[in-house]
Amino acid sequence: MNFAWTAEEAAFRQRLKDFLAATLPDDWERFSQHGPASPALTEYARAFCGKLAEDGLLTPHWPVEIGGQGLDPWHQTILAEEMWVAGEPRGGQYMNVNWVGPTLIKYGSPAQQQRYLPAITGGTALWCQGFSEPGSGSDLASLRTRAERVGEDYHVNGQKIWTSYAGLADTCFLLCRTGEDRKKGISILLVPMDTPGITVRAIPSLIGEGDIHEVFFDDVRVPATALFGDEGQAWEIIAFSLVNERLGIPRYRLARAARDRAVAVLKAQGGWSGEAVRIEAAHAAALCEAARTASYAIVTKRAQGEAVGPESSSARFATVMAERRVAEFVVEYLPEALADAHPYLKMHHQRGIVAGIAAGAAEIQLNIIANDVLKLPREPR
Amino acid sequence: MDLSLSSDQIAVLDALDSLAKPYEAAPLHGTGFALTDPGLDRALAGGGFLDVGFDPDLGIATAGLVVERLARLPQASEAASSAIVRPLLGDGVGSPLCMVEEDKLLRPVRFLREGATVVVAGRSVTSFVATAGQVRAEPEALFGYPVATLLSLPEARTDHAVDAALLRTHWRIALAAESAGLLAAALASVCAHTTERQQFGRPLASFQGLRHRLAEAQVRTNGVYWLAMKAAATLDPADAALAALHAQETARAVVYDFHQFMGAMGMTLEHPLHLWTYRLKLLAGELGGRGGNALAAAETLWGSA
Repeated sequence: MNFAWTAEEAAFRQRLKDFLAATLPDDWERFSQHGPASPALTEYARAFCGKLAEDGLLTPHWPVEIGGQGLDPWHQTILAEEMWVAGEPRGGQYMNVNWVGPTLIKYGSPAQQQRYLPAITGGTALWCQGFSEPGSGSDLASLRTRAERVGEDYHVNGQKIWTSYAGLADTCFLLCRTGEDRKKGISILLVPMDTPGITVRAIPSLIGEGDIHEVFFDDVRVPATALFGDEGQAWEIIAFSLVNERLGIPRYRLARAARDRAVAVLKAQGGWSGEAVRIEAAHAAALCEAARTASYAIVTKRAQGEAVGPESSSARFATVMAERRVAEFVVEYLPEALADAHPYLKMHHQRGIVAGIAAGAAEIQLNIIANDVLKLPREPR
Repeated sequence: MDLSLSSDQIAVLDALDSLAKPYEAAPLHGTGFALTDPGLDRALAGGGFLDVGFDPDLGIATAGLVVERLARLPQASEAASSAIVRPLLGDGVGSPLCMVEEDKLLRPVRFLREGATVVVAGRSVTSFVATAGQVRAEPEALFGYPVATLLSLPEARTDHAVDAALLRTHWRIALAAESAGLLAAALASVCAHTTERQQFGRPLASFQGLRHRLAEAQVRTNGVYWLAMKAAATLDPADAALAALHAQETARAVVYDFHQFMGAMGMTLEHPLHLWTYRLKLLAGELGGRGGNALAAAETLWGSA
């Protein structure tokens, strides 16, 4: 076991830090409070990701033949850590490089790859994930949005909800029902968001402006070439995507940085002398480090080319625990942060609540751990 | 960064598994609070497993793996201190090795008996070999270790040229590595029972009230493992304090749950669960317990108040 970064990995991290220092505007910490899905940050992200792409830092972990440099999953992790801890200046484009692009590479037709990959590698694409529906959240396989094959088109009718980035996205990775079988009746369509019949309504949220939406599909017509993979292959494809997504955001890194920032503020203003505050900070630190090392165990497997299994749910839940403990620490000892005294801590607090809800609720992670890590008998349905 | 085991570590663990196999299968009904096996202790010493920390190619990182694996056995053996602390003191120090804090002498001490080596952590590090008159066995103690009370500290003790803070770092690593194995074995034991035991026409473990808490225990236990292994690899005092803190906090969170999930079986000595959980209970208070380890971590990470 080697818990130290190689010189090359450390140099890559420093290169990213240097890039961020040279590129982000002076008022970035306050600006980033708009949230990764906000119009302001989405617009900024197009310029930022363009510069990242120019410097070879947008998709360095992708294969060389499709615009990457073939760097290993450790570099992907370092890249994700440095971006997320900086407040994610890539905005919603982080999804592109984490899972949309890799999923396109694995399952997309040559025409789909040709159509969508250049905008991702160029830093201009914004995707949204049409998964949840009003009646289908954690029970995703119950989704009802229907795509009916009519001649050379699919006609799509239904509704999605809690959809991040939908307000400004140019393409939707849409799950819809093409058959009756609970899981094998689900397919994926890649749907341009300017297709007639799509209506997007923003939902006010706790986590930053412009992040959550309802999306309505009223007789939306897309060509059959929009089908991604085969009909009925969606469940297999999103299982692949979610493994990438679940570890895609290294939230433990921002939680740790927020914790350290809070401690620095407390020390500066004389709030660090009591034992209680120091004990609580240490508990938060332990959970952050537990989440980080559990995540690194997963990255180790990926770096060795092994399939990542249910242990990613364990690392994910560890991250939820860390996020909560840091957020609670700040609320208890620096409540003024939520009133805008410390923008970075406010930003962390807004985003932290997402950890246990998005990309598979924490309870779903616990179910996966119970079923597939502990091998417990399943709950009867 | 690479968290995979080296080929040497895999070889050591394979050999240890072979040695441990017969002990895993030992009959466990009615064992009393603590189970020991002198044959296991002799086999460990003979096989050199507790000396891997002296080998610079294997180091404390491998010792941590050995301690974690041994702690999963129902038999309590004095492995943690010998494997992880003793390399600081030199191989002339005998075993069992018993750790005491100079200002907390009334606490029950694991494996303390006549002839044991007692390491005293104060401002400096000293040791002595216990005599019969300095030791009172506590056969009725509610712990999963054989314990005794240290009645007095002799004036004449061997001084060790070891920084007391470094000693405590190794002690914390030993505590965390042992806890990781105890937690993993206790969790496995509870999962096995609740999978087998049927109530209301279905296995207990099919009820979400248990499943989610067991899954959360897995997450915590996994965290203890990785924090312990990291601390064993880095020997960093902050890593060690965080590992010890997380181990003790996890024990606090899961031990009563584990017995609770077993129902009335969780109150008996017929089921072996206590052989792991009642060891965790003694580790819960070492080195100042959660508060002490948290303050040590905070001091190392962020400096003094």
